[in-house]
Amino acid sequence: MSIGLSNPVVGREVTERLRGLRAFVVIAAFVLVLTLTLFLVYEAMSSQASFDLATRTRVGRTVYEAVLLIMTLLVLFFVPGLTAGAIAGERERQTLSTLQVTLLRPRSIIAGKILAALAYLGLLLVASLPVLAVAYALGGIRLVDIGSGLLAVAFVALVLAAMVVAISTFAKRVQTATILAYGFVTLLTIAGPLAYGIATIFDARSEGAEARPDETIAPAFLLTPNPLTLVVDVAGGATADAGPLSAMQDGLGEAWYRNDQSWFALFPDTRLGDIAFDDRERPDSRPPAWVLSSLSLTALAVAMSWGAARRLRAPAEVER
Amino acid sequence: MTDSGLHPPEAPAAAAIGAMAVEAVALTKRYERLTAVDQLDLVIPRGSVFGLIGPNGAGKSTTFSMIATLLRPTSGTIMVMGVDPTRDPVAVRRQLGYMPDILGVYDNLRVDEYLQFFAASYHLPRREWPGLVDSLLELVDLTTKRAAMVNSLSRGMKQRLSLARTLVHDPDLLVLDEPASGLDPRARVELRDLLRQLRDLGKTIVISSHILAELEELCSDVAIMEAGRLLAAGPPRQILDQLGHGRRVRVRFADGTVEHHDVADADAQADLLRRLVVDDQRTVVEFVEEDGGLEHVFMSITEGIVQ
Repeated sequence: MSIGLSNPVVGREVTERLRGLRAFVVIAAFVLVLTLTLFLVYEAMSSQASFDLATRTRVGRTVYEAVLLIMTLLVLFFVPGLTAGAIAGERERQTLSTLQVTLLRPRSIIAGKILAALAYLGLLLVASLPVLAVAYALGGIRLVDIGSGLLAVAFVALVLAAMVVAISTFAKRVQTATILAYGFVTLLTIAGPLAYGIATIFDARSEGAEARPDETIAPAFLLTPNPLTLVVDVAGGATADAGPLSAMQDGLGEAWYRNDQSWFALFPDTRLGDIAFDDRERPDSRPPAWVLSSLSLTALAVAMSWGAARRLRAPAEVER
Repeated sequence: MTDSGLHPPEAPAAAAIGAMAVEAVALTKRYERLTAVDQLDLVIPRGSVFGLIGPNGAGKSTTFSMIATLLRPTSGTIMVMGVDPTRDPVAVRRQLGYMPDILGVYDNLRVDEYLQFFAASYHLPRREWPGLVDSLLELVDLTTKRAAMVNSLSRGMKQRLSLARTLVHDPDLLVLDEPASGLDPRARVELRDLLRQLRDLGKTIVISSHILAELEELCSDVAIMEAGRLLAAGPPRQILDQLGHGRRVRVRFADGTVEHHDVADADAQADLLRRLVVDDQRTVVEFVEEDGGLEHVFMSITEGIVQ
């Protein structure tokens, strides 16, 4: 592979990464897990009594959503492992100072590391295409669904790679960076829903003994800065029972509806919260959560990358 | 200033700025309680081979990091090739090749890819890479290893490859921190020969090493540091003369007797020889300076202080 891409860090990183056995083991594991998901979902659904055309198209949709969900979870799992060593690894093998004294700017080094990680993750997504093609062949989804779903996962991979590379800049050792990165990604993924859940319980208690948790209100914005929310909102289907992403998307819609039909309500009108979600018509005008999600994740990734580039600037007060 | 009576060199005169590769005035670097470099005045002429000597923790690597645009001084000024590295580090980097004290290379690259990566990092046009890589590999005698993986090279070869990397953009100033560290005797000799070649090419070389005899042979000027402070600087012979107790002469006469004489400097040496031959009418068959090398100077003026 040529090493002379416009950003030399990208070429070098990709060359080094693809030379190792690890790269191919990860791709193989990724495709294997997705294939297994496809097989299990198909087996579970095809064993139903009537396997008519309607059921078959539903199988296609469910397979698509299940595969995309697992793919997102794998990206959440693989990105920290693949990119935590980006800068910490340079520091650990004593190559960072030789890189810093070249004419490469810190932001080029950071961008190169992110793009190299994305190039590899892109390979993973391309490797998943045959599995998604099976879902397409089963019916129930369009090519544009596959395209938008893959774009959403690629976007999640990009922002996560940027965040983890930034974390790597602040760690002295790869091991530390890896632990920090996994901690951060876990927090990013579950902190919002967890806070939402806790707020729901808190609301339920404050409403008195007769209040039920499903009639209480927690701020919906807690759910938006989340990589899963992004994929769920882009790839979720029209009905809640279409697949795992659709079910989660339905939950997002409910949270928005109970928050005075807003993503930003801090003190929503409790009367709306008292209306059972199933009793009202599904609103068509819900602003997409993926826009908020992508904006907030992008802002976080940009801010972290900026901090990382600043940290790599030399001369520094303390050698990095 | 030290008890040995040696004085650090005078601060560079304003008129001399630009003629020097490195000029530091009262250069200081502090880390909380530790003062790694303390009021260092240093002048390194262009085209010289300058050795920085000192025990571990003397502040050599910190000084090198400040020259190499990696560290910002706490106080004092430093000019590298006439440019302030704190104001315009990129301009300094264009003229500087830096080799840190710990050897770090990208093991999963081929030797030629490694050099190409740094050629790209210095924004050299791609069409120049093949010729550049060829000439650098020839210079460091690694032509036969062009397609070898970096991790298959011996330590000495990696060190030479690392040196080739510092030369990718043809810098005028080379800052080499302990380049001979960990090398076997043969690799050291090869490295020394290579540095001689670079000296002959007109490069300014700033080097630190624990192998003092090698520095003495290679360097036109040296500076001795301890505990962040400069103890002495100048040509090795001049430092020895300043010390005043650095020369011991072994004299062998025609009758086979051998005498040892301590002399202060070169003039005293000449006086001694004249007295023996002219005044005492003795037949001298050997008149050799025994010690007083850099190692002797180093041991005389450092106290083994470790920060």
